[in-house]
Amino acid sequence: MGPLLQLTGLPALALICVWLCRSTERMARLVAVLLWLQVAATGTLVAPLLVQRETSLVISPDFAVDRLAAFFVLITQVVVAASMTHANVFFAQEGSHQTERRRNLRIFYTCAILFLQAMTAVFFCENLGFLWISVEATTLSSARLVYFHRSKHALEAAWKYLIICSVGIAFALFGTMFIFASSQYGAIAGGSLNLEELIKNGPALQYPLLRLGFLFTLLGYGTKAGIFPLHSWLPDAHSEAPAPASAMLSGGLLNCALFAIFRIAQIVTASGHPSLVRNAALSAGAITVFAASLFLIRQHGIKRLFAYSSIENVGLMLTAIGLGSGPLFVLLALNHSAAKVALFLVSGNIIQCSGSKELNDIRGLLAVSPYWSAVIMLGAFAVTGAPPFGAFAAEWQLLSLGSQQHLWILVALLVAALTLSFLAVCMHVGKMLSGNPKSKQSPFSPFGSTVVPACLIAVTLITGLTAVPKFFF
Amino acid sequence: MTLSPLEMVALSIALTAILMVGSTHLRLNIWMFAGQTALLAGLTALYSWQRQDLHLFLVAMALFVLKAIAVPKFLLFIIQQVHVQRDSGTVIPTPIAMHLSIGFLGISYILASQLPIPHANGSGWPSSTAAISLVCTGLLLMLIRRIALSQIIGFLIMENGIYVFGLTQTTGMPLLIEMGVLLDVLAGVMIAGLLAFRIKKNFEHIDVTMLAELKE
Repeated sequence: MGPLLQLTGLPALALICVWLCRSTERMARLVAVLLWLQVAATGTLVAPLLVQRETSLVISPDFAVDRLAAFFVLITQVVVAASMTHANVFFAQEGSHQTERRRNLRIFYTCAILFLQAMTAVFFCENLGFLWISVEATTLSSARLVYFHRSKHALEAAWKYLIICSVGIAFALFGTMFIFASSQYGAIAGGSLNLEELIKNGPALQYPLLRLGFLFTLLGYGTKAGIFPLHSWLPDAHSEAPAPASAMLSGGLLNCALFAIFRIAQIVTASGHPSLVRNAALSAGAITVFAASLFLIRQHGIKRLFAYSSIENVGLMLTAIGLGSGPLFVLLALNHSAAKVALFLVSGNIIQCSGSKELNDIRGLLAVSPYWSAVIMLGAFAVTGAPPFGAFAAEWQLLSLGSQQHLWILVALLVAALTLSFLAVCMHVGKMLSGNPKSKQSPFSPFGSTVVPACLIAVTLITGLTAVPKFFF
Repeated sequence: MTLSPLEMVALSIALTAILMVGSTHLRLNIWMFAGQTALLAGLTALYSWQRQDLHLFLVAMALFVLKAIAVPKFLLFIIQQVHVQRDSGTVIPTPIAMHLSIGFLGISYILASQLPIPHANGSGWPSSTAAISLVCTGLLLMLIRRIALSQIIGFLIMENGIYVFGLTQTTGMPLLIEMGVLLDVLAGVMIAGLLAFRIKKNFEHIDVTMLAELKE
């Protein structure tokens, strides 16, 4: 079986299912099963890379994966499969199986599968041009996910998302052009966008143009990742999208944008100017972490809270890229994706149960559902980097790497921001758990609505407890 | 300074963008955008003739059919559906905006001369001036206009600017990538157009500055 078929066969089958299955309930279940099969198929494809038996898997000169990308592909596929499995519970509760909403649901599923394919493609691109095309495709396929509820707020969020990200991505295209231009004067005859060729001929690239290219692509893909002054679309889109879509945006999409930055940082480092990557990515990362931790204090919406926590984690991952540590970047991404997807999925349940997105309206969660409370509490610990969880190991490595390189200002800023965000998130979550419930609604399907998030929390717990972090280094 | 025909075309593309900042009439702007993109397709064809490059000619054809005919037609269809003729108002007065964009052209000239591109291959400052000015003007249009459709037009102008840069300052991107970019832009315009249509239906207007309910 060719790798291309292995990657696209099952999603194509799922797409057919979406439009041919008469009952949307059965369609949703079938798609979830197919997506988990897809995880298994991709897993077998990239397994030799993960156990380091091979260094890269080449599909064509412009499409290949290395070990790092293989991890990201798997993370993304698991995130999407988990979100779409939980979507069964979520949409059943929304009453989405009524006739007039069926079409809407089918469109949602179609876009989700296309979104998965676009995100997978990002990690396979060995060519900056195709990388740009894939990243833009992720925006286009996910805009419809944000607009699922068809409310005014959802429309506003979708519009902002589409326009802000498209403009950002346009700058990334400009940056890609600069990098292309930098390669054609002396380095490679006729110029090239192929990552391998660019890295190989790194020192011959024209540096001033490459620098411009890096800054523009950082700005462009950074908009998509939600780095600090350019993050305004992110809380809106995450908060207005239905829970499975918020989970996919946060756990999948942000990694894609950061991965694109990482790829271009590799070229700049290979050109013999690692200080540019360091200065730009470290300052952008540290500012993002710090600003997000300040925003976390005064939040009024449950999903906005977690969205800002995602921005904080994006800042941490950008810092890892700035320090030039690929494995640390993967480790941070793995823990953030697992914990944040669990949090968004459970907050979807909570919003459906209490009928409000406002933190002030959600009280007494412990009395309503101990399962959800447990997941949201552990998730909050996991995502802010409390000890037993994987994020703690990753953040510890990040700080020790920073202090090894004598970046004391960075370390101090990160420690302050991490403490602040831990306190802020715990305060908000604590308020939600305690008190008397404001609504009389009872929780639904306690097992079904908790199993997927609980498994994801377990993943980050195991990462933190075992030798998994060592596996990366 | 003498301009080559290619540079003259590139600069006239930049001028059409400045004219668009000066007009609040949506239909006129869409027609001007169509004209601009047709010029761009012509420029691409000239380059393909100069470089004897068949790929570039294919790009020129695709550009003409998709961006100079299909996109304007789609946008005209949308404004017909939402019954909007003019931009209801701009954040800064139109004459000042137009002068600003002329100022941007000057700044672009300075920026272009700073660009570390060896200007030996005949595609010198004037073309990159045009490219940078188009990007700035497109961004300006997106920032100052209130109607969702004008923002789409602004984005398209920006995209044209980036394309002009790629065409004149590099030896030409690979065909497959050019086509992919074109396709992405096309899909983006379709989705943005449909969203604008929804905005009109839900809010009774398409003034995006009034989309401000989601706040901290």
